[in-house]
Amino acid sequence: MENSIIQVQGVSKIFGGLTAVNNVDLEVSKGSIYSIIGPNGAGKTTLFNCISGFYIPEHGTVLFQGEALNGRSTDAICSLGLSRTYQNIRLFSNLTAIENVMVGQHPRLRENWMDAVLNTKRCRQEEKISVAEGYKWLEFVGLSEFANAISGSLPYGAQRRLEIARALSSNPVLLLLDEPTAGMNPQETLEMTALIRSLRDQFNITIILIEHDMHVVMGISDQIAVLDFGNKIAEGKPAEIQKNERVIEAYLGPGGAALANKYRRKKAS
Amino acid sequence: MKNSIRQSIRTGVTFGIVHIFFILIAFNSMISVLIAKLSGIKNPGEIPAPKFYIAFTLLMGLWIGIAALNKKHSLSVGKKLLLSFTTSLTTGLMAGVLDVLLAIILVNKVFIRDFLTVLSFDFIKATLFGMTPVMGTIVTVLCFVAAGVAGGALTILNRTEAVQKFWKNIISWFKKQIEKIQYLSRGKYHLFWQIGGISLLALVAILLPMQWGSYWNYVFGTVGLYVILGLGLNIIVGLSGQLVLGYIAFFAIGAYTMALLNAPEPHNLMWGFWPALLLGVLLSALSGLLLGLPIMRLRGDYLAIVTLGFGEIIRILLKSDVLTNFTGGPRGIQNIKGPMFFGIPFNSEVDFVYLIFAGVILAGFVYNRLKQSRTGRAWLSIREDETVARATGVDTIKYKLLALAIGAAFAGLAGGIYASRNQFTGPDEHALMASINVLSLIIVGGMGNIPGTILGAFTLKGLPEILREFANFRLLAFGALLVFMMLSRPDGLIPSSRPKYDPPTEPAPEIDKKEATHGK
Repeated sequence: MENSIIQVQGVSKIFGGLTAVNNVDLEVSKGSIYSIIGPNGAGKTTLFNCISGFYIPEHGTVLFQGEALNGRSTDAICSLGLSRTYQNIRLFSNLTAIENVMVGQHPRLRENWMDAVLNTKRCRQEEKISVAEGYKWLEFVGLSEFANAISGSLPYGAQRRLEIARALSSNPVLLLLDEPTAGMNPQETLEMTALIRSLRDQFNITIILIEHDMHVVMGISDQIAVLDFGNKIAEGKPAEIQKNERVIEAYLGPGGAALANKYRRKKAS
Repeated sequence: MKNSIRQSIRTGVTFGIVHIFFILIAFNSMISVLIAKLSGIKNPGEIPAPKFYIAFTLLMGLWIGIAALNKKHSLSVGKKLLLSFTTSLTTGLMAGVLDVLLAIILVNKVFIRDFLTVLSFDFIKATLFGMTPVMGTIVTVLCFVAAGVAGGALTILNRTEAVQKFWKNIISWFKKQIEKIQYLSRGKYHLFWQIGGISLLALVAILLPMQWGSYWNYVFGTVGLYVILGLGLNIIVGLSGQLVLGYIAFFAIGAYTMALLNAPEPHNLMWGFWPALLLGVLLSALSGLLLGLPIMRLRGDYLAIVTLGFGEIIRILLKSDVLTNFTGGPRGIQNIKGPMFFGIPFNSEVDFVYLIFAGVILAGFVYNRLKQSRTGRAWLSIREDETVARATGVDTIKYKLLALAIGAAFAGLAGGIYASRNQFTGPDEHALMASINVLSLIIVGGMGNIPGTILGAFTLKGLPEILREFANFRLLAFGALLVFMMLSRPDGLIPSSRPKYDPPTEPAPEIDKKEATHGK
C-alpha cells in the first residue's frame, strides 16, 4: 500500500448494455513494469482510458499517488505526472518532431502569452530549456537527427518512439504505454523492449503497458494482469501467468489448458 | 489514330462551349480592352478596335492548339499537327455557328438584352470583327484553325530536346540567383540585410503614401485592414484550428464602439479616437470570450454554424428597430470624428495609411511572437488533435478562449480604424460576405503565416481594385481563383513552413525546482 503509485479500485465502465470493464482492481508498485494482457476486446484500452481520464468510470475510483483522479480532466491528470501513448499513433502530425516534444513539456512550463508577446526573461529562458530538453528526449529515443522533420513523415517505428518521447517530456512518474510494439518487426521490438526497460532503470518511471507480444510481456514485466470480457481473471508474476489455466482458456478456448500442456510436453521432448 | 481524332474533336467541343460562354459574358471584350491597353493605346473607349478582337480569337486558338496535344507524346509530327487542326477546326466551327446566330440577331435587329445583357448590337458587330456577317464568320473559323495549328507546331517545337534544355538552363539560372540571395541573407551578412531591408521598407512605407494619391491610399489602406483581420482570424483558424465564420462581428463591435463614442449622432459622446480604439479592442476581446464560452464543446462544422449565427445576430441587432435610438439602426452612424495625435489633427488619407501600417506592424509583431512560443505550440497542438493535446497537459479550453479573445482583439483594432477612416459605419458593412472574404484571404494566401496573409489580402482586396476592368467579373474571377488554388496549391500561395530548432550548444539552464510541480 505504502509503495504503490496507482490503485484502481473496483472500476467499471459500461457502454450501453456492454460492460467493457467490470469491477477491476489493480495496484501497481513504484518503479515496476506492469503489463495488462488479454484477448482482443477484453477492455484493456478502456481501462487505460478510465485511468488517464478519457472516460469517467461508472463505478470505482482511481488513486494516483494517494489522490483520487475521478472527475479530473485529462490535462489536470497529465499535470499530476501521468502520461500515456496511444494504440494507434496520435502524434501532432503536421508539427516537427521537436515541436511535438516541446508541446509535451507544456505542463512543466509557466510562460504565458504576455511573456511571449513581451519576450520576457522567463519566456527566453523557458524556450531555451524546452529546446534543450526536447533534444534530450529525442536523443534518448534515438531521433535527434530527425528533430526538424515533420513527424507525420517519419517511419512507423520512429513515430512510436516519438510518441513515447512526447509522453516522457512532461516528466511523468507513471507512463501508460498502449501496445508500444504493435506492428514492429522483431529487431524494432527488441529495441523497444530495451527502451522501456531503460526508462524504468534510468529515470525510475513506473510503467503500465498493454501488449500482445508475449515475448515482450514475459521478458520485461514484474507483474501481469489478465483481462477477459472486462474482468480481471488473473494477476501475478510472468511465470505464474504462463501456467494459469484460466488465462490459457481465455486465449485458447475451453480445453485449451490440456492442449497447451500437450504442446509443452512435445516441446520438452 | 481514329481514337485520337475522336478525342481531339471532343476536346474541340469542350473548348467550343468555353468559347461560347466567354462570348456570352463578353469576356472577349474585356481581354481585348486589356490587350489594347497593353499595346499602349490610352482609353480605348467602350469597344476597342476589331484587330484586338482578332487577337483574342488567335489567343484562344493558340490555347486550343496547345491543349489538343496534351498528353500526346508518342505520335509523329504530322499526326500531331492533324490533331491540333481537327481540334481547332471543331472549336472554330462552333464559334462560326455562334457567329451566324449572332449575325441573324444583328440583321433582324432582335433585341435580346433582356436575357443576355452583354449582347448589344455594337458588341455583336465587334465580335464579328466589324466585317460583314459572312466574312466575320469565315475569319473566325480561319483564325481558330491557323492559331490552333500554330499552337500545335509551337508545342511540338517546345518538346524538342534543344528547347527543353534551354528552358532547363533558364530555370537553373534562376534557382542559382535565388540561392545566391538566400546565401547573402544568412550568415554574417544576416543582420546587415535585415536592417537594410527594414529601413528600406520603412522608407517606402513613409514616402509612398505621400506620392501615390488618394485612390491608392484608399486601396492600400483597405488591404492593410484586411491584413490585420487576416492575422486575427489566422490565430483563431490557422493556429488554434477553430473554424469561426462570424468573425466580422468582432470587427463590427470595434467599428461601432468607435462610431458611438465619436459621432455627434446618436449620443454625441466625443471621447476621442484613442480611448475609443482601446475600448473597442477590449470589448471585442471580451465578446470573443463570451462567444467562446458556449462553443467550447463544439468542433468542426457545428462550430462553424454556431459562429455564423453569432455573426448574423450582431448584424441584425445593429440593424434592428429596437436599438435604432442606440445604434443608429439601418442608417448607420455618420460623421465619425478622426483621431488627434498629440493635439494635431491626424485624419488625412495619408495619416490613416500610416495608422493602418502601424496597426499591421503591431498585429504582425504580436502574431509572430505568439506563434513561436509555448502558447503558439499549444494552439497548434489543439488544431492537430484536441483530445491528445488535452491529455498532453494543454488546458484546451483556456487556450481556445485565449485564441478567440486575441483574434477578436485584432478585429476590433481593424474595425475601430476602419470606422474612423470612413467616417461612417453601418450594419451592412458587417455582413456574412465580409467574414467569408477574410476566411478566403487566409486560405488563398496560406494558412498560418504572415507573408501568406499579406499576399492573400492583396490578391483578394487589392487585385480587384487594380484590375478595374474585371469589376463585372470579380466574383467569377474570385470563384475561378479559389477553385484553381484548391486544385493546384491546396496549402495556399505561400504554405506555412515549420520553424527549425537547432540543437543547443551549451548545457541548458536547469528548470526551477520550485516550478516543477510533480515528480516527487
